[in-house]
Amino acid sequence: MRPFLFSKSTAANQAIAKKKSNTQFIAGGTNLVDLMKKHIANPDNLVDISSALPNKVENTAQGVSIGAMMRNSATATDPTILAKFPLVSKAILAGASPQIRNMASMGGNLLQRTRCPYFYDVTTPCNKRQPGSGCSAISGENRMSAVVGHSPQCIAVHPSDLCVALAALDATVKVMDKSNKTQSIAFKDFHRLPDNNPEKDNNLPADALIQSINLSNNNFAKNCSYVKLRDRDSYAFALISVAAALNLNGNKIIEARLASGGVAHKPWRWLEAEQFLKGKEATIANFEAAANIATKGLKPQMHNAFKIPMLKGAIETALKQCLNP
Amino acid sequence: MGFFDEPFDFNIAAEGRVEGIAKVTGAGKYSAEYKVEGLCHAVLVGSTIAAGTIKSINVANAKQVAGVIDIITHLNKPLVPGLADEAKIKEARLGFAVFHTDKIYFKGQPIALVVAETFEDATYAASLITATYEKTEAKVDFKEASNAIPLTSAGKDRGNLSALDSAVQVVEQEYNIKAEVHNPMEMHATIAEWKAPDKLKLFDKNQGVNNVQRTFSKLFAIPVDNIEVISEFVGGGFGSGLRVWPHTLACIMAAKQLNRPVKLMLTRPQMFYSVGYRPAAWQKIKLAANSDGKFIGMHHQAKNGTSVYENFNEGITRVARLIYNFENLKTEAATVPLNLSTPTWMRGPGDCTGDFAIESAIDELSYKLNIDPVALRIKNLALDKNPESGLPWSTNYINECIEKGASMINWSNRKSTPSQLKEGDWSVGYGMAVGAWNAGRGTASAAIQMQRDGSITVQTAMTDIGTGTGISMQNIAHERTGIAKNKIKIELGNSNLPPAPSQGGSNGLSSIGGAVVSATEMLKSKLAEYAASQNDAYKGAAVNDILLSDTGISLKNANNLFISYASIWDKNKLDILEVEASSGPGAERQKYAFCSSAAHFCKVKVNVKTGKVKLERMVTVADGGKIISEKAAANQMSGAAVGGIGMALMEEQLVDEKLDSLVANDFAGYHFPVNADAPIIEVAFINKPDPNINPQGSKGLGEVGIIGTAAAIANAIYNATGKRLRDLPITPDKVLLA
Repeated sequence: MRPFLFSKSTAANQAIAKKKSNTQFIAGGTNLVDLMKKHIANPDNLVDISSALPNKVENTAQGVSIGAMMRNSATATDPTILAKFPLVSKAILAGASPQIRNMASMGGNLLQRTRCPYFYDVTTPCNKRQPGSGCSAISGENRMSAVVGHSPQCIAVHPSDLCVALAALDATVKVMDKSNKTQSIAFKDFHRLPDNNPEKDNNLPADALIQSINLSNNNFAKNCSYVKLRDRDSYAFALISVAAALNLNGNKIIEARLASGGVAHKPWRWLEAEQFLKGKEATIANFEAAANIATKGLKPQMHNAFKIPMLKGAIETALKQCLNP
Repeated sequence: MGFFDEPFDFNIAAEGRVEGIAKVTGAGKYSAEYKVEGLCHAVLVGSTIAAGTIKSINVANAKQVAGVIDIITHLNKPLVPGLADEAKIKEARLGFAVFHTDKIYFKGQPIALVVAETFEDATYAASLITATYEKTEAKVDFKEASNAIPLTSAGKDRGNLSALDSAVQVVEQEYNIKAEVHNPMEMHATIAEWKAPDKLKLFDKNQGVNNVQRTFSKLFAIPVDNIEVISEFVGGGFGSGLRVWPHTLACIMAAKQLNRPVKLMLTRPQMFYSVGYRPAAWQKIKLAANSDGKFIGMHHQAKNGTSVYENFNEGITRVARLIYNFENLKTEAATVPLNLSTPTWMRGPGDCTGDFAIESAIDELSYKLNIDPVALRIKNLALDKNPESGLPWSTNYINECIEKGASMINWSNRKSTPSQLKEGDWSVGYGMAVGAWNAGRGTASAAIQMQRDGSITVQTAMTDIGTGTGISMQNIAHERTGIAKNKIKIELGNSNLPPAPSQGGSNGLSSIGGAVVSATEMLKSKLAEYAASQNDAYKGAAVNDILLSDTGISLKNANNLFISYASIWDKNKLDILEVEASSGPGAERQKYAFCSSAAHFCKVKVNVKTGKVKLERMVTVADGGKIISEKAAANQMSGAAVGGIGMALMEEQLVDEKLDSLVANDFAGYHFPVNADAPIIEVAFINKPDPNINPQGSKGLGEVGIIGTAAAIANAIYNATGKRLRDLPITPDKVLLA
């Protein structure tokens, strides 16, 4: 283990003030500790923020605010979340293992890094780990990699399940920056595509801290589902996941939301398919048509052409499950 | 009052394992957990290339790390007498002799060992070591490399393959299986302590302490008895502990060099290339039958991966000569050298791989013939004798396994044409396959120590790798002596105890059981000898006429004539009564053939939209002779079945041929099944003793639980979907694209 200094902060501004060069915040540590063990993250200072951030689900005028330090498992079983945003709970419970969910924070979940095997193998080139070294996955084993939004620099996917649900529900992320100012970032703008800077996973300003994740009230609670396909039934990252939510009037779709994990560098919204479903009847034929729209024009890698039929099947399955959640 | 404050008693079920409480409370110590005075910690540094020569190793930065004591490389290694020159290295048969070469054979091969005061210091320093190499071309792609390797004969031809040409139905197909890694929960670890220049003590994770002891006795040229190897608790082995691996030698070398006890535990990533794996395999089967389903013959060809520095032939075609009658049979095999570490035996080695191809082909043939796969198998079983040796089976109840399994899973619900049963987007199907294993037995020893109060301790050097050896020894001792189970203590996994073979190849209980029986007989005779001084009736009493109880000895025939242990002890001024006995195979091996067998049945659901395969039910019925401890035996079977799910559906060691590298060396990247992937495994036994194999009549179960499981699942997927998948693992992408 590489030596580092460890300190604890009890307030967000105090934690941010401590953020000198090569400092990293640690909350649940479920990803950072892995990265440190593999010498991928090598901080000189670790600032424990587990007592510095809100850890409650609070009702707001528009919806709820989920404290950044809420544990994933506590969020998944929170009565307000279960009643108003069950999709969030479903997605959380599809991820990781109970032990990891017990430790993992909500803020940290957004910031977890890709599970591309080359990112974790320091003996191989990886632009995300070591900018400019090349992408091993493009010419290597890329069964798990992206099928949309990738760049010649990086084909990694974002590993979170929670984030797929948050993307579907248009969450916002409240962050506090170095000058203690807070701002809200729309979820679609929070994570980024790799482009030429795959080392950057998201648009969180330097030294800023996530305070909370905010969700506005919606009419999706009754008809939503999360479908995750993976190589084993628990404790595995998604080959494909789909968060689906329908706002129905009778059998008519007022509004639809569709988002996926396992397809891109960020949680991916299928906006065209959503648009197609709007105003249509909730029928198998329309679900299939929406799935066809979503899966058009995707660019799979050498080893993951299967993701296209799988995604299509997963979207259809998720939409059908919305009707019998 | 909190939960942990509440007083509680452990209510131990009668069949609970003897080591169960120690394991679940943490009292049982695994190799890395022992506290040793003055212990220092070692971490291995691996090569970053897969083939070439080390030019230089830079240890300067690592040496600066506080707490670092020493760094061992091939340039400054301590003398190992058994590796003093090339001839001795060859003779040692270690594969490659760690730190005795500058040649690199695979990526991750240890090039340096950092020893430090703490594990953390050693880990950090290890990360700072760099090396330069002269790189040569590496081969890691099994598929590509295997094309160039010719097959050679693997066993005597039977009849003539031309007979297959006249067959009514022929299946001719290829089968590919990706490499699998054992990955027991407990990582391999060694604590080495030189008690004197010629006396070594090892806490070591392995499957046979005497094998480790013999190996290092030779390497360090010291008497076997000067080496104590302790492996009392083992957190799973699956074959990975049957060899002595380089890390153990490296640890002992460091302890020698530093004259301090050293601990070396492999990291999880290192577990992927340091202790063997099931090699990747290619097979081709040509199987032919008459219209009535009678097999005419089979041509079985197989290749498996090995390393460039050692040849490991898995014996994939062996099983072709075990289960069925083939009048015409040809088997051929080859190994394919790769720049990867050497593979080794992994649960059901060889047979598991070969059986997948054969049992898949038989299933395919059954549809062509329109004969039920159960009926087709029963028609062709070699039930009377071993088809290879011609010796009559001592016992072989594989047909009963099949019949019982079919009844348990309601085989009659299966549709004879695929894709007939639907549940929404799910297709439902049934599949089955059988497996068998040559049932072996080795020579083992056991000792019994008896106290005045009638309690006994049964001892052997054999390790219990989780198979239930301890509870089975207790059951045998109880049955043979009548002494209550709670008065029978078991000690094992220490080389100071009576020697025993390694626990592998389903030989563990088959070997040690006889030794326990012999030791109980010696105990009876010894007690009778003492009793004879109090009553002449005991003189020369036959073992079978001697009865023991918790409190004393008596005779079957003559009004009991009870004599208490207390009086024997007092009259003879005994402290502890000790007997030791050996037992092993004999002439019965020339008269009979022996096999364990199992039939596996499953019901699967396959999602036609997503390719997801879900196991609804798994039934496995085994003939393991007499079942000595039903819980432990069922545990063996269900664990193997779950391993079979892994083989069938998800386990694969991916290799990057451009980077000469394994892809993913953690549990996020290498998937083996979790509880959510497995239904409750329904296990049953035929439970008829084999009268010839050993005194207790039990046949080993470790392998047959997994031999056939993968084929049963693949066959069920075909029955559900009409998709015949011949490459393992059958991940959802393969189902979708088929």
